[in-house]
Amino acid sequence: MRDPQPLPLLAATALLLVGCSGSEDPASAGAQAKQDFTPIAAPSNPMTDLELVEDRTEEVADRLLSFSAVLVKQDFETAQAWFADDFQGMGFAGLLVSSETTQLQGVVSRDFDVSRAPIVNKAGLIASWEETFGKWGQVSSVIWKVKGAEFQQGGRPSGRIKLYLHATGILPDGTMQSFAAWGWARVKRVGDWVIDRLEFTSYNFKTLSQAPYVEVTSAAGVGHTFARFGSDQNRSFHFNGAAAGDVDGDGDWDLFVPSDERNFLYIAQPDGTYTEEAVQRAVDQPDDGTGAVFLDYDNDGDQDLFVAQVGWAFEDDRGGHHCALYTNDGTGKFTHASELAGLGSPFVAYSPTVFDFDGDGWLDIFLSCYGMVEREHNNSWFQATNGYPNALLRNLGEGKGFEDVATKLGMAGSRWSYASAAADIDLDGDPDLYVANDYGDNEFWINAGDGTFEQQSDARGVTDRGNGMGVSFGDLNQDGRLDLYVSNMSSTAGNRILDRLEDSIDQETYLVLRKLAAGNSIFFQEQDGNLKRLPKNAGGVGASWAWSANLADLNLDGRLDIFCTNGFVTGNLAFDT
Amino acid sequence: MVASTVCDTPSEGEFKLQSVGNEGFLDRHNSQIFAEGRSFSGNERDKLFLNRGDGTFADISDLSGCDSPGDGRGVICADLDDDGDLDLFVHEIQRERHHLYRNNLGGKFIKVRLVATSGQHEAIGATVIIHGPEGPVAQPLTRGAGFVSCQAPELVFGLGTADSGTIEVVWPGGAKEDFGTIKANSRVLLTEGSGQATNFAARPRPLPDPLPKGLLLRIGDTLPALGMLDAQGELAILDPIALADGGELWINMWGKSCVPCIKEMPLLSEHDKSADLRVVLLCTDPPQHRAQAAPIAAKRATGLADFYLGAEPRDVAAPPENYIDLLRLPIPTTLRISAEGKLLGVIRGTVPPH
Repeated sequence: MRDPQPLPLLAATALLLVGCSGSEDPASAGAQAKQDFTPIAAPSNPMTDLELVEDRTEEVADRLLSFSAVLVKQDFETAQAWFADDFQGMGFAGLLVSSETTQLQGVVSRDFDVSRAPIVNKAGLIASWEETFGKWGQVSSVIWKVKGAEFQQGGRPSGRIKLYLHATGILPDGTMQSFAAWGWARVKRVGDWVIDRLEFTSYNFKTLSQAPYVEVTSAAGVGHTFARFGSDQNRSFHFNGAAAGDVDGDGDWDLFVPSDERNFLYIAQPDGTYTEEAVQRAVDQPDDGTGAVFLDYDNDGDQDLFVAQVGWAFEDDRGGHHCALYTNDGTGKFTHASELAGLGSPFVAYSPTVFDFDGDGWLDIFLSCYGMVEREHNNSWFQATNGYPNALLRNLGEGKGFEDVATKLGMAGSRWSYASAAADIDLDGDPDLYVANDYGDNEFWINAGDGTFEQQSDARGVTDRGNGMGVSFGDLNQDGRLDLYVSNMSSTAGNRILDRLEDSIDQETYLVLRKLAAGNSIFFQEQDGNLKRLPKNAGGVGASWAWSANLADLNLDGRLDIFCTNGFVTGNLAFDT
Repeated sequence: MVASTVCDTPSEGEFKLQSVGNEGFLDRHNSQIFAEGRSFSGNERDKLFLNRGDGTFADISDLSGCDSPGDGRGVICADLDDDGDLDLFVHEIQRERHHLYRNNLGGKFIKVRLVATSGQHEAIGATVIIHGPEGPVAQPLTRGAGFVSCQAPELVFGLGTADSGTIEVVWPGGAKEDFGTIKANSRVLLTEGSGQATNFAARPRPLPDPLPKGLLLRIGDTLPALGMLDAQGELAILDPIALADGGELWINMWGKSCVPCIKEMPLLSEHDKSADLRVVLLCTDPPQHRAQAAPIAAKRATGLADFYLGAEPRDVAAPPENYIDLLRLPIPTTLRISAEGKLLGVIRGTVPPH
């Protein structure tokens, strides 16, 4: 379907979307008196079999995901199929503003009074959705998420679900829109699951007149379209990253992007575009690199390039690549130093981190190594010990390659390591290293200053058991000390299940699992050097399946903000967990 | 976590996720799941949290313009256009894998690059502290942090409303050095032991304005003659150079159900009367709708040449879909083409009156 850009004059009326006009009833045909509406009650005889409850919850969640897809397309006719003919509940229009605040960056947030929401029938509900969201020039996303569910024992399948509704879009004049509501729905299965009662407990709109960012991918010449993840051409779990550096010494930041079938090297041009020159500059192969870093490996004044690889499959001749070091000739033309010492072994390497850990003036590289996912699974959910050993590639100097000293220094381990970050957290002159591990405890290697490290994650309170994906340092509370940000996973399904499990499993297991599903962590460094976890309700951590976090002052207000990539796999079907 | 590892049974004695649900899903192998097009923790979007300054953070992802749902992995956060604010490059796993987001906010800043003299010259691991309006803010110079991501060797500090900030560096090796007060919007090179900041030159290279989704051309690209039909369904070549006739050519893309498109047609006819501007219409409706679309153009866009999809044979001129993905292109959109047939720019939405 094409995406028409509605008339700009709609922008003004769209700002009045909800609640600003109590007299204007958007759904008069469907409106009913409020007193007719009975609040949605919990099932009188709830199902107790947890597995059946979760199966049923999944059915409802899947059904609502496909509904979300219909709403993104603004297909209001099809949308009717998700509601019972005798639907009765709160509509999306005609609510009154209960509070309005202007927040950071000019975000205007309006809460609406749900206690006086108009009650509508099915036609009125659809009309109210159209009234409220039909005026968005573009609906970017709609999500109806099931945050909890209870079902009636016996009889026709029915139940009560706790709902989170979320939508984002853009008005024709560019104003950014976001909608979030919590509520309850009564559902029943009539062929498919349908909603027959709907009730909000909170209802909020946020607007921002101009988005901080605009996507310029194709205009700048860095667009790359590849197959959908999961298809034959794109099914590798060797996730690919990106590195910035000045390849040709002109003072602009060029971008190296390892990828599945070949690498990309975007060279910055004076006109603001990029030209892709991986082949000309001889960094296009080998493909399927994970993380990459620029560094002056041989101290000759230019930026060399190191690309991590998942190469364990060498061992049984199934493909895979060595980690690659490309040396720069000073003009931005590279040579693949394929026979370099220290790189002849296979690694299961994801994120390389550059630092001079021993202070000898030559840059070393720590390689976070994961598990061999194609061959074996993690042997524990929260204490896995069958990960591939990490590597610490000590630079031998003078371009002579590397020596892996991780085992010698006791840092190889057997965790499933995805990433690390180095910084002088204690400002004693040497770089310390935090390692984020999936399925287990993270490690915090404090540099003793003599070329050795001591693992102090417990002592410093930053073990952060969970599914560690990434780690970054930066000062997030303007006190001049570096703080710690760890990317983890959180899970709607996991938390929903745990809500039901609290009384039925032992407390220790429960707490472990709760942490596993909890999401990202921020640790502020205090005056005494201790790191203290920021409570979750302080914000900044609410991603779901988080990867790379960057701590930087994105709005130049003098405080570091957080950008974090997020999401595991988004398929082209509606079904999800 | 990788889903394949969620799909098998963990070692005995441990708590089994399978036992608490999802059994049918988790028991199936991930590659099959994803080959089928199912999601796993999908439909999530990249996150932007702003620092409120009081130890809390505001989630403005929804309104940020950079919250792609394509399952982001690596990210670069750097001032790519040298205008002082930080742009983003994100590598995702789904179809459109590379994303570049231009920061539109601007503001006062200090950019810092470092040269170490006692250790390796790149000063990786140094911590720079700027005392600015919100207190001292520390940033480490890293290469390789986050997840599979490597940042540019430059630190950007915002100054809010302040006109300057004072800089302190803790160099690898531990030496602390004060570089004094630096004015807002400075780009400074700090060399260890010098005690003095030196300015380095700005290299502005403004990132381009966005192009509409579905446009497969970049600014400066040549649009060749396209094989189209006229209102009667006869073959008609949309030849930009011939139609521009030495001036500028606007190709307005419209559809019969697009109200703003139809409303602006008289204005397009007016523009066509300018001495050095020609306007033509390219209808984006499928060929079977030409009969309904053509009378609208005839009535509303008097005097304009109008072109329709469905030309055969395909070898008489270039097929339009090679240059414009008409199913994805928002309309109205107007391409500005030079007398030489090159794309000068794009008018997104309705055209301006003058």
